[in-house]
Amino acid sequence: MSSHLDAARRGTLAGAVRDAHILVATGSGGVGKTTSAAALGLAAAQQGRRALVLTIDPARRLAQAMGLEGLDDEPTEVPLDAAHRGDGTGELWAMMLDMQTTFDRLIHRHASSPEEAAAITSNRIYRQLSSTLSGTQEYMAMERLHELHEEGAFDLLVIDTPPTRSALDFLDAPRRMTSFLEGRLLKLLLKPGVAAGRGIGKVVGAGATAFIRVAGRVTGMELLQDLADFFRDFEGMYDGFKQRAEEVLTLLRAPSSQFVVVTSAEPPPLREARFFLERLEQEGLHAAGVVVNRVRPEVPRDPTDAGLERAVQGLEADAGVLSDADDRPPASRSEELAMAGALRLLGDVRNLAARQRRDVAAGLFGVEVPALVEVPLLGGDVHDLEGLDAIASTLVTGRAR
Amino acid sequence: MSGQGPALAGFDALLGPHVTIVTGKGGVGKTTAAAALALAGVASGRRTLLVEVEERQGFSRLFGTQPWDYAEREFRPGLWGAAIDPAESVYEYLELFYGLKRVQWMMERSNALDFVTTAAPGLRDLLLVGKLYEIEARRRPDGRRSYDLIVLDAPPTGRIVPFLQAPEAVTDIVRVGPIRRQAGQIKEMLTDPRRVQAVIVTLLEEMPVRETTEGLAALHAAGIATGPILANQVTLPRLDAEALQRLQKAGADRLRACAETHGARMSGRTSELTLDLAAAHVARQQHQAGLRAQLVASGSPVLGLPLLSGSTFGVDDLEVLADVLALQAGEDGPRARERLDASGYAAVAGARL
Repeated sequence: MSSHLDAARRGTLAGAVRDAHILVATGSGGVGKTTSAAALGLAAAQQGRRALVLTIDPARRLAQAMGLEGLDDEPTEVPLDAAHRGDGTGELWAMMLDMQTTFDRLIHRHASSPEEAAAITSNRIYRQLSSTLSGTQEYMAMERLHELHEEGAFDLLVIDTPPTRSALDFLDAPRRMTSFLEGRLLKLLLKPGVAAGRGIGKVVGAGATAFIRVAGRVTGMELLQDLADFFRDFEGMYDGFKQRAEEVLTLLRAPSSQFVVVTSAEPPPLREARFFLERLEQEGLHAAGVVVNRVRPEVPRDPTDAGLERAVQGLEADAGVLSDADDRPPASRSEELAMAGALRLLGDVRNLAARQRRDVAAGLFGVEVPALVEVPLLGGDVHDLEGLDAIASTLVTGRAR
Repeated sequence: MSGQGPALAGFDALLGPHVTIVTGKGGVGKTTAAAALALAGVASGRRTLLVEVEERQGFSRLFGTQPWDYAEREFRPGLWGAAIDPAESVYEYLELFYGLKRVQWMMERSNALDFVTTAAPGLRDLLLVGKLYEIEARRRPDGRRSYDLIVLDAPPTGRIVPFLQAPEAVTDIVRVGPIRRQAGQIKEMLTDPRRVQAVIVTLLEEMPVRETTEGLAALHAAGIATGPILANQVTLPRLDAEALQRLQKAGADRLRACAETHGARMSGRTSELTLDLAAAHVARQQHQAGLRAQLVASGSPVLGLPLLSGSTFGVDDLEVLADVLALQAGEDGPRARERLDASGYAAVAGARL
């Protein structure tokens, strides 16, 4: 049975691992983005490249496996033993992103004086901003990526995007951030007089007055005062921020920056993956391919479903009537029943694999997929280099090892 | 009862509080579990409302309805659904408290909605939680509550406490005004175990289990009562260690010969693969049992939801899941009895085999 994805399934991420300068792993929460990002970095190191994986919140055991406990905002080299380092000329580095540190640094860079920076970083609104303004985390991840790109110490930067509500948030982050900071409301608030809390009506239009009265009643005037202070302090930095956001977008648009869309084989994350691929195309960004994690192994089509059912019934009939005195589960009471159980299992696995395959085909229907790599469902979590190595191998060869 | 933790006595123990907040790590099946809990609520005779706050349209796809919006609509007998979003909540809030319907156009024009829902810290979450509070407090003309049960498909474990505490967080910043007053009432609701419980959904895998224990601790620290833990996608057992031994002793060739005797033609490759699958299956069950024991050690009741192995998943399957929950709470569950055999049910419920 052929599918529109057959050609994509013949593709791999080998080219991206070998040639890209930036790989962005994206997808909805809980699909294995961090593990995929780490495996991409390892695959590049094995090919002699100096690779850095920027991660957000690695699973503890994965972090341990990479020697990353107690990581801070600076890159640390991951020790690779002989079995996992390829020809030995490459290096794998990793770091944990710290949003607040990045944001603070950004403020200090753009502020005209240390006093201005201090006024902003001590503002209540600023302190809450990084965790509450949607898109801020994503924006800071991109900002750190840009810093590392400028430092130029690595051949490949692999970034694991934050677990957002929607994978798409991340593409909109720079725009949302700057449009928020630019917002017309901000301009109103910046008018002298407003910040001082007097003469509102004389300075701004009647509509805004009504709004500020409403907002003041809803939130209390002190919040508005803080916002006004924040935006006033921020005003001189806005152009620097905006320019920086544009540089970040330019960097991401370069052909050497590629996106790896990560998903599991279930309809909701597949839907996100599809939207994301469509957005990449609209934005002129480059997709390296799709990684589908936790795919059940494909099971041969023999015997037929009907044959399987007959054999299960037949074996169970051979086993005869079960004694009530024996409270063990049926499959362990005789060889026939053990075989019947095994054949039922074969049927389960085949059904689930078929369900997944259909979901993947339906989820990605009609969208261009440069490469589709399916990573098999593993027995447990990935928690050592051995496990990462197996995934790295699948990503570049397209085959389970 | 080794794998189940404390027992639940009936629907009242499972769904007693007015509101059940469903959370869990991303990708564990929160939406499916929330839908199953709501269907169990309907089966218990409760007037039930399912609420979505993440603008994902997860329920409408699951139930095959038109997209949901802010309006609460009955889409199955006894079951209402709504998708609440912060923008609508702002309008409603302003109208409710100030009669300010006419500011709506002005707000949209001045981009102020972005400001209200995004810039003011925690305001978005506050408005969503505030809406939940409004629904919980609402009464029918005869004085009974509008819904006996509200099931909320909430943000994931990592964000659930900040989400629920948004009203408090805002009071740190806002020192006067109606938001501050209302925040106190919302907190009162959230920390009243007769009104609200949080249910964490997990897979029997390391990371989600770890996030579950962390989530329980965080919720308890916030004074929010927790209900049972729902272990989703529990593998239905087809054979155990003893059966695997028998199978391995018989060998792939014998399996193939016996299958063929009963009219199932099978290649040597498939019979060998079947033995491999059986070994992996037994290992996986042992792994799951170990993780389940960790959950039980948390002190919460642990209820299982089976990984149904049909080649499709639809509304019928949701009803089976709802019935599996009912059975584990000691109620009747006809569709689950039909679909699961005794050892399958025992494994899902965590009972000793």
